Amino acid sequence: MDFELTEDQKKQKESFAELCLKEIAPKAEFTDREAVFPKESIRLLGKVGFLGMGFPEEYGGSKGDPIIKSVLGEELAKACASTYLSAGASSGLFGIPLLRFGTEEQKKRYLPGVLSGEKIGAFAITEPQGGSDVLGMKTNAQKRGSTWVINGSKTLITNGPVADYYVVAAYTDKGKKSDGISLFIVEKGTKGFSQGKSFDKLGVRGSPTSDLSFEDCEVPEKNLIGEINKGFVQLAQILSHGRIGMAVYSLGIAQACLEESISYVQERTAFGKKLAYFQDVHFKIADMKMYIDVGRELIYKAAWMLDQNDTQSILFASIAKLFMSEHATKIASDAVQIFGGYGFIKGYKVERLYRDSKLGEIGEGTSEIQRTIITKLIEDQY
Amino acid sequence: MEFSIPKESLDFKESVYRFALRDIAPEVQKPEYDEREEFVVASWRKMADFGLLGLPYPEEYGGSGASVLTTTLAGEALGHAGVDAGLMLSWGAHMILCGVPIWQMGTESQKKKYLPKLASGEWIGGLGLTEPNAGSDAAGIQTTAVKKGDRYILNGAKMFITNGPIGNVFVVAAVTDKSKKAFGISAFIVEKGMKGFSPGKKLSKLGVRTSPTSELIFEDCEVPEENLLGEPDLGFVNVIKLTLEWERSCLVAPAIGGLELGLQKAIEYAKQRKQFGKPIIKFQAVRHKIANLKMNLEAVRQIVYKVAWLKDKDIPAMMEASAAKLFVSEMAEKMSSEVLQIFGGYGFIKEYLVERGYRDSRLASIGGGTSEIQRGIIARSIINF
Repeated sequence: MDFELTEDQKKQKESFAELCLKEIAPKAEFTDREAVFPKESIRLLGKVGFLGMGFPEEYGGSKGDPIIKSVLGEELAKACASTYLSAGASSGLFGIPLLRFGTEEQKKRYLPGVLSGEKIGAFAITEPQGGSDVLGMKTNAQKRGSTWVINGSKTLITNGPVADYYVVAAYTDKGKKSDGISLFIVEKGTKGFSQGKSFDKLGVRGSPTSDLSFEDCEVPEKNLIGEINKGFVQLAQILSHGRIGMAVYSLGIAQACLEESISYVQERTAFGKKLAYFQDVHFKIADMKMYIDVGRELIYKAAWMLDQNDTQSILFASIAKLFMSEHATKIASDAVQIFGGYGFIKGYKVERLYRDSKLGEIGEGTSEIQRTIITKLIEDQY
Repeated sequence: MEFSIPKESLDFKESVYRFALRDIAPEVQKPEYDEREEFVVASWRKMADFGLLGLPYPEEYGGSGASVLTTTLAGEALGHAGVDAGLMLSWGAHMILCGVPIWQMGTESQKKKYLPKLASGEWIGGLGLTEPNAGSDAAGIQTTAVKKGDRYILNGAKMFITNGPIGNVFVVAAVTDKSKKAFGISAFIVEKGMKGFSPGKKLSKLGVRTSPTSELIFEDCEVPEENLLGEPDLGFVNVIKLTLEWERSCLVAPAIGGLELGLQKAIEYAKQRKQFGKPIIKFQAVRHKIANLKMNLEAVRQIVYKVAWLKDKDIPAMMEASAAKLFVSEMAEKMSSEVLQIFGGYGFIKEYLVERGYRDSRLASIGGGTSEIQRGIIARSIINF
């Protein structure tokens, strides 16, 4: 047993935190206000090797396991949740299925661009009628000669309006339900494929989200990822990455709320003394700290299990994500409360954090889906 | 980072679980003990015979030399097997709160005299800090100790003392130099039968009723000077420092097991209980409660193991221990309420153990430092004021 980061991990965390503080955090307010995709920041994250962590060097990757990814991810999410989300959707959600199931040719063609931050990736499962209910999707792909013809539409796709490459899930044999879904790579500009307009959102406004539409979209045969009809199984195998990633999203936001609150209560005076002297403030901050520390341990445990290929990592990824996201929204709400009226004003960081926090309970499987999964995974143990 | 638990610790946990399930739980779970507020002596003896009463002490004093982690796992296993929270509380007060200060601060002869008796269960121990007017404000205690010749004369009273009515030996804090406040309080080892010492009447309680609680009364109580524990004037501060982290890891460990047992019982019940033509586990409201139980169980486990690990490494863990204690105790209470809810009306009647578990869980956020005190400690560790 060892609950501590190694010296090397601590150093990595420190220098990455400094980078985020200097280069990413100052742009967060603008990114949110103007809803501008932080392209330069994504390039920077590629340059310093953050995007490529855990991918082989030959595809532009660098060393890294799920634990250090979580450690550094917290720093990025703390600095700018929008940048974190788009970075994760690009290198993680797009990159990991390719790395795990793609052909050599696919990896060589797509990974280096995405991992360097020059190109943007995205991952498209959700549809107007199939969000949590993945099998309710309608998009289908039919083989015609040496091409796949995709028809349907996707929605709520992170990086939808800005990505160069997409992993797209479609039915290749609808009758077989979970045994009838396949994954495809679709490039921007492909005939019959179009990106929708960026949605106007409550939070993570700098991370663009849109519809995608496929009208007789022709994708070459070689763009099928792995085996046909294995898409659902493939998704199940990589879900933990996304869930842990989303838990880290919430962790970073919560930690930012805690830090903002601590510094505010030491400055703000009311009734002749600093807020830091009031017991109610102590208790709010103590709760933030407690839930963050517990959540962080759950995330590290889930990440460690994922790294160990432990079969229970799916369960622990759900637990970590559910725990951290629900506490993060509460923590963000308490941070706004501590700031009082100022917390309600644009330009104060906690106002943004409050809005950003909500996605944690929705993205990568809602809280309700996480609870459904947890019970399903354990009910037969008793 | 590495979260696997050493195999020998896991094996030990498993053996404690099997033992407790067979030899302890069926007896202590009998409702009459709870009704009569009776300490289950026979089960206590069996725990002693299994070697559970002196786990962390060195072997030369009759202990097993177990690590904090292993001791924590044993507590978890006992709780999971269904050993009631009352017996577990008495276990903690005895082995940790009384024994650990003697082991860590005692002279060689004190250790030789008391630890083997505690480890074998021949004697029962307790800790006397709290007073009628000094609970959370522990440094406000009023019991005094005045040196007279080769003895100290103690006067005052302690309150809410676990094992008070049945204890043979207590570590007791008393003011030796009032002007020095917290740094003028010494610790003493007081034995039952010492002149001027008497336990008060057993207090009737909401929960943990099988763990007897009482006052301790000192009326010109004569304690030999060799029973001073640790340095004069500093005993209190050192006892607090020593026991708190233990208390907030090992002592809350049975609650982890209790949560797991609650989860297990809830699932078993929800599978067999039918309403509206199907088992209630088919209803989403029930399923999501079960998910919450599992989530919080794993959260509690991870955070308590971390404190145990820090303690084993001798890394100061005051804040972590407070956060763990706060989290575990509040979760134990909330989750036992959720389990009871799943059991519905049956959860509210005495026949089912969930009613007892619900009452028993209430103490956790009061004893060993209230939730409010823990929040204060956490806040002070991160806010400057």
